Amino acid sequence: MSGAPRAAKPRPSSSIDESLARRLAEIVGEKRVLFRGGELLAYSSDGLPGYFKQPSIAVFPGTRDEVVAVLRVLAERGAPFVPRGAGTGLSGGALADGVVLLGLNRLTHILSVDPENALAVVEPGVVNVALSRAVSSYGLHYAPDPSSQAACTIGGNVAENAGGPHCLKYGVTLNHVIALTIALPNGEVVALGNADGESEGYDLVGAFVGSEGCFGVALDVTVRLSRTPQSIRTLLADFSSIDAAARAVSSIIASGILPAALEMMDAATIRAVEASIYAAGYPTDAAAVLLVEVDGPTAGLDTDVTTVVRLCREAGAREVRVARDDIERAKLWQGRKKAFGAMGRISSHLVVQDAVVPRTKLPEILARVHDIAERYRVMVCNVFHAGDGNLHPNIGYDANNPDESARVHSAMREIMQACIDAGGTVSGEHGIGLDKLPYMDALFSSESLSAMCTLRTVFDPDRRANPGKVVPVHSCREWHMAPSARSTSTEHA
Amino acid sequence: MTTSPGAMELRDRVREAAAGPRALRVVAGASWLDANRPVRAEATLEMSGHAGIIEYEPGDLTLTARAGTTLDEIAHVTAAHGQWLSLDPYGDSSRATLGATIATASYGPLAHSFGTPRDVTLGVEFVTGGGEVVRGGGRVVKNVAGFDLTRLVTGSWGTLGVITEVTVRLRAIPPVQATLIIDVGGAETEVERLRGGLRALPFMPMAAQFLDPTAARLVEAGDRVGALLVRLGGNEEAVRAQREQLRSLADTREADADVWHRLRVLESANAAVVRLSRRPSTFSETWRTAMRMVERWTSPAYCHGDPGRGVSRVVLPLTNQTAVDELRSVLETPFQGSRVYERIPEPLWNVLSSSAIHGRLQRGIKEAFDPHNVLNPGILGESQ
Repeated sequence: MSGAPRAAKPRPSSSIDESLARRLAEIVGEKRVLFRGGELLAYSSDGLPGYFKQPSIAVFPGTRDEVVAVLRVLAERGAPFVPRGAGTGLSGGALADGVVLLGLNRLTHILSVDPENALAVVEPGVVNVALSRAVSSYGLHYAPDPSSQAACTIGGNVAENAGGPHCLKYGVTLNHVIALTIALPNGEVVALGNADGESEGYDLVGAFVGSEGCFGVALDVTVRLSRTPQSIRTLLADFSSIDAAARAVSSIIASGILPAALEMMDAATIRAVEASIYAAGYPTDAAAVLLVEVDGPTAGLDTDVTTVVRLCREAGAREVRVARDDIERAKLWQGRKKAFGAMGRISSHLVVQDAVVPRTKLPEILARVHDIAERYRVMVCNVFHAGDGNLHPNIGYDANNPDESARVHSAMREIMQACIDAGGTVSGEHGIGLDKLPYMDALFSSESLSAMCTLRTVFDPDRRANPGKVVPVHSCREWHMAPSARSTSTEHA
Repeated sequence: MTTSPGAMELRDRVREAAAGPRALRVVAGASWLDANRPVRAEATLEMSGHAGIIEYEPGDLTLTARAGTTLDEIAHVTAAHGQWLSLDPYGDSSRATLGATIATASYGPLAHSFGTPRDVTLGVEFVTGGGEVVRGGGRVVKNVAGFDLTRLVTGSWGTLGVITEVTVRLRAIPPVQATLIIDVGGAETEVERLRGGLRALPFMPMAAQFLDPTAARLVEAGDRVGALLVRLGGNEEAVRAQREQLRSLADTREADADVWHRLRVLESANAAVVRLSRRPSTFSETWRTAMRMVERWTSPAYCHGDPGRGVSRVVLPLTNQTAVDELRSVLETPFQGSRVYERIPEPLWNVLSSSAIHGRLQRGIKEAFDPHNVLNPGILGESQ
């Protein structure tokens, strides 16, 4: 987080906004354009708590033609805009501060499914889990499964390069997007990638996935579906120390078994979950539990289960139990997927971070996180994708208490720096958005940040799409080149 | 992260070139120099000296190495810990370097299950055509910080930047492996039956390659008929079951483990190579076109193909007597799909595939990252 949360000042809509709103209403209909203060409240925050940024206008096109028409009008007027899916993002990427918010959640059609080639073409507003449901009868599913999958959209997943517990084995959104049709910020429609064979040239699909709404808007997304595994085994191992659980993670990864998911929850998380309606039967006296899932063909799977059980025991697990049926399995997972919700019961505000460290550094970094939390007198809950080294330290607090807020933000800054120092990064799946901008300078050189700005400028020369996100504005300087060549640099800036 | 002295030297070389401007041909192992379109360069930027593994922590299953490190060296070091880099591009792996593999997005049979360089590359350091040392991604297995410069340079053939360092994801080598051979008669229906059968298996093989009769003979996997090579891997029980399931599809026999190496190094230095691709469900038609090209070629040509990826690769050896028109006619055998040419004689590029850089975005990216067009100019063709 980049400072104390603050409330937006009530912002009277200007005549310019009203004129633009009227123009947009001609395209999408009056009901689909919001511009009065009260109407915009629901769109003044996203999944990142503590921030409140009011858009000038929120517009909700219902078809791809409407999206393109809206973008053209915004381009004519030179109006910056922020694309938004379900607004479940945790980095503030969908916050629109006095600019137009472009909602894409009405584009919910699954355009085609090709079960034989395990491909689907979807509109950006299709909800993640709805896609998996729609293709389940073919024995297929869409593998990336963020915890918000019941609400988040594929378009938002593409923008954030979303992950989820099962990305350990199956890969993140990037590995599942084959092709895209996008509208550039100027309204120009471009096809990226090729679902019908190989293509040459630069990997624009790779560049677009994870561009956090700064490169344009996806109009349709061709995704690769995954075969539903023949068998799944879900295990819960409980430990009397976090260190022991972290060592179990390292030895499972090093053993060569690639679990479908390998998740850790610490004592504070377990207690929050067990006190909530999502109680999963986790042992409340454990210092940490590991949720391990292995999947694949039935043959040989139990050998892997046996190995995982042994490795957990060797690392000091008190008990390892294997879910007996789908009901128990679903219950174990529900506790994990609803952990953030469960913590929301305890505190009015929750900051969730998303740093990643090399997996061998997990025991060390979790000890550091513990020390930092003690020093700042804050309560950190750890619930995270241990198999990827992707930490999600959460701190619950009262944002209206300035002293507590300040301590929380200082603790978070130190945790992030510790993860960077351990050779890690500041975001594994939530994105940089607004929230992690202050860390980008610690992570990348000014040359690297400048190169990222340059890439953005190719897609959006006017820099109107999701302004002020991902790369700090101060690093978006002129493109650097050899001293003798600088005189010609402006045209490429 | 600090920039290595070697990268700074390479940066200075690129800066000098940009100041000229004087075009550079980026060269490492020099094993794929005739791949892709002809390059017009005045000097060579030699990368093979910029080699060595920088960081390898087996418990993290990641490895960071300088671009000039050979795939063989990486294989040697990681095998000691039961791990491997799942990239097995065609060619001589004692000369193929990590940097070139990533820059060209080259892949081999293991891509069937483990994907291509875009799926295993975690981070890169590169020198842009403007002479800036830039990093994208990082050294951890999951990373969304910043725009994806890693994917941008992967497969860019050195035209956006000179890759100096790469971090890749490794995998554990399965404890048990086996390769089985299924004889494949010529009938297209047989190819389709086997493709569908493979897809319906409860497991995904590590690799699956159809070989035409010539390729099968050359890699010692068959005699007078084609073959389907299927690579199995997993724990003992899993592989035992995989063998049985495969046997339910067709008669199988064991291949020796070197068969994959023989396939990788099979092609002669002087050959035209094209990859045909469509959706995997139409693989048998793609394969038929590949076989047709082989039949139409005079010298002992061959093809092999991955049914899961829907790609067939046709290798047509060339001689001094090869008539370019005749080659063109074979390469233009009617096919409703995508053709990616790996190697063809220089005069044919203009007529068959003059450029890979199309549209405002591709063009804009090239101009932004290599404003003086000094990095491998021409290898992807001129901007269109």
